[in-house]
Formats: sequence, structure tokens, C-alpha cells
Amino acid sequence: MMSQASLVQPPRVAEWLVDLFTPGEQAESILGDLLEEFSDVATKSGVAYARRWYWRQSVKTIAHLTGTGFRVAPWSIIGTVLGGYLLLAFGTSWPEQAIVGVLHFRRHHVTPYYANLDAYVFWLNTSILIGRLLISLFIGCIVAAVAKGKEMVAVMTLGLVWAAMAGIGILLLVTSHWPEQAFFLPFLVDQFGSSGMIVTGGVIVRESRSAMSRRPSGA
Amino acid sequence: MSGRDYLGEFEHIVILALLRLDDRAYGVTVRQEIEARTGREVSIGAIYATLGRLEVKGYVKSQFGEPTPERGGRSKRFFHVTTKGLSAVNRTHRAIQSMTKGLDLIGSYS
Repeated sequence: MMSQASLVQPPRVAEWLVDLFTPGEQAESILGDLLEEFSDVATKSGVAYARRWYWRQSVKTIAHLTGTGFRVAPWSIIGTVLGGYLLLAFGTSWPEQAIVGVLHFRRHHVTPYYANLDAYVFWLNTSILIGRLLISLFIGCIVAAVAKGKEMVAVMTLGLVWAAMAGIGILLLVTSHWPEQAFFLPFLVDQFGSSGMIVTGGVIVRESRSAMSRRPSGA
Repeated sequence: MSGRDYLGEFEHIVILALLRLDDRAYGVTVRQEIEARTGREVSIGAIYATLGRLEVKGYVKSQFGEPTPERGGRSKRFFHVTTKGLSAVNRTHRAIQSMTKGLDLIGSYS
């Protein structure tokens, strides 16, 4: 008969994060070790203490594995991040060009934009924002696909670099002149949302790879 | 990589834990052995990061055991020290002994 402590599950989010940041071949043994010790700690010191212990172990484990991932292959990660950054620098202007092109085509051939200027500006800004976020997601996927085994290290680094550059840009903008709120808020969403979408792209690729590696072969 | 490499401090501790544990050495037991003997709280990630580095250097080898229910159906990964790893431990020990020879560590520096 199983004890009550062995039926208690560790924090799911912590478990998911460890799985996300752990290279494929290590994930099984690390998660198994953490679960085994979690059950022991829960039996000896109670579930609440065991959950705190699990979180502490998870955070330290992720920090170690991320640091190691970077130290083991610094140049391949730097190269991948640099390539991703260049793609982002060029790629984020593609939605703008495409959407302006489409709207101008419509202006000439279908609907005069000046008939409803506010709606035109709203849809232009919104479409560009969505387009940029989707491009960031796509580039996050590409970077993660290239950085096989170190997906999260690569996308986290790229996301942080992109957010840091956005932060510098915002600081320069604010110190030179205080921007109008109507333009500033979408700008903030665009810049920091892009970092979030890059990381999301990495999560999608990492999860897909984990799912494929867990799939039984020869079915 | 040079065949005359010395072990880092934590690498040294981890290999000694593997030697003490012999065929029972896997993540949990290695972590607990180090904590019990050094009083130092270490994460399972630190253990695996170090073991990964030692495996790349050829100082340790690993093999998976059978999946067990208390581990959620996951396997244990057992580690053991190779001959090359044993040479590295001895080399590091000799270097430390040579460096500490003649020093009154307890009297002068405690």
C-alpha cells in the first residue's frame, strides 16, 4: 500500500520548468531524483516543507543547467542568438511593409482610407503589432530549432538581449521627449511582448521535442 | 584536452562521493552523501552539471537502471568512476598533499 506522502505530487509548475530547461537526456533522471527525494522529504517533514524544498531545488537546478548550457557551448549560443537578433532586427519591419502595402492597394483599388481615418490608423497599428509579435514567435521557434538541446538557454538569452535593447531605446526616448501615451503603450507592448513571444517560441519547440522523445517507438 | 588535468574542487568532491557510494551512486545518493559529509547544501542540478562535465572528460561513465514507481516510472542513472577518473583523483590528491606539506594549517590559519 502506498503511503500518503508518496501520493502527494510535487508542484506542477516547478516540475514543468525543470523539464523545460533540462537537456533531453538528463530530464528523466533529474525529474525522477527530484520526485524520489520529494516523497522522502514529505514523509519526514510534511508536504508544505517538501513543496518549498522542491521549488528551491528546481530554481537552483535550472540556474545550474542554464549556466552549464552556456559554458559548454558559448560560441554556438552566441552565434545562434546573434543570428536571431539580426533576423528580428530585419524581420520586425516585414509586417509593417506588408500591411502598409495591402492597405495602400486597398486605398487605390477598393476603399478610400481617408473615408475613416481613425479606423485606418487603429487597424494599421494593431495589425503591425500582431504581425511583429507573430514574427517574434516564429523567430523564437527558429532559434530554438537551431539550438538543439539548449533551446531555452538560447531563447532566454535572445529575449533578454532584445528586452535590454528595448529598455535602452525607451530610456533614450523618454529622456529626449516624453512620448504621447497613445503611441507609447503599443510601443511598450511591441518591444517587451516580442521578448515574451521569442521565449514562447522556444517553449513550443522544446515541448514538441520532449513530446516526440516520449513517444514510444515502433508503434 | 590535456591528460594532466586536475579536478576542480566540486568535481573532486563529487568523484569522492561516487567512490564512497560504489554501485549505489545516482543523483539522490550522491547529493545526500555530499550534504551529510560536508554540510553543504547542493542542488541536484549542480550534481548533474558536474557529472556531465566529468563524463565528457571521460572521468565517469553512466548507465540507466530500471524505471521505478516511486520515481514516477523514471529510471535512475547510475554513475561510476573510470580508470582515467581514478588517475585524476590521485593526481589531484598528490598535488594538494604536495602543496600542504610543511604547512601548519590548523595552528597558523584556523
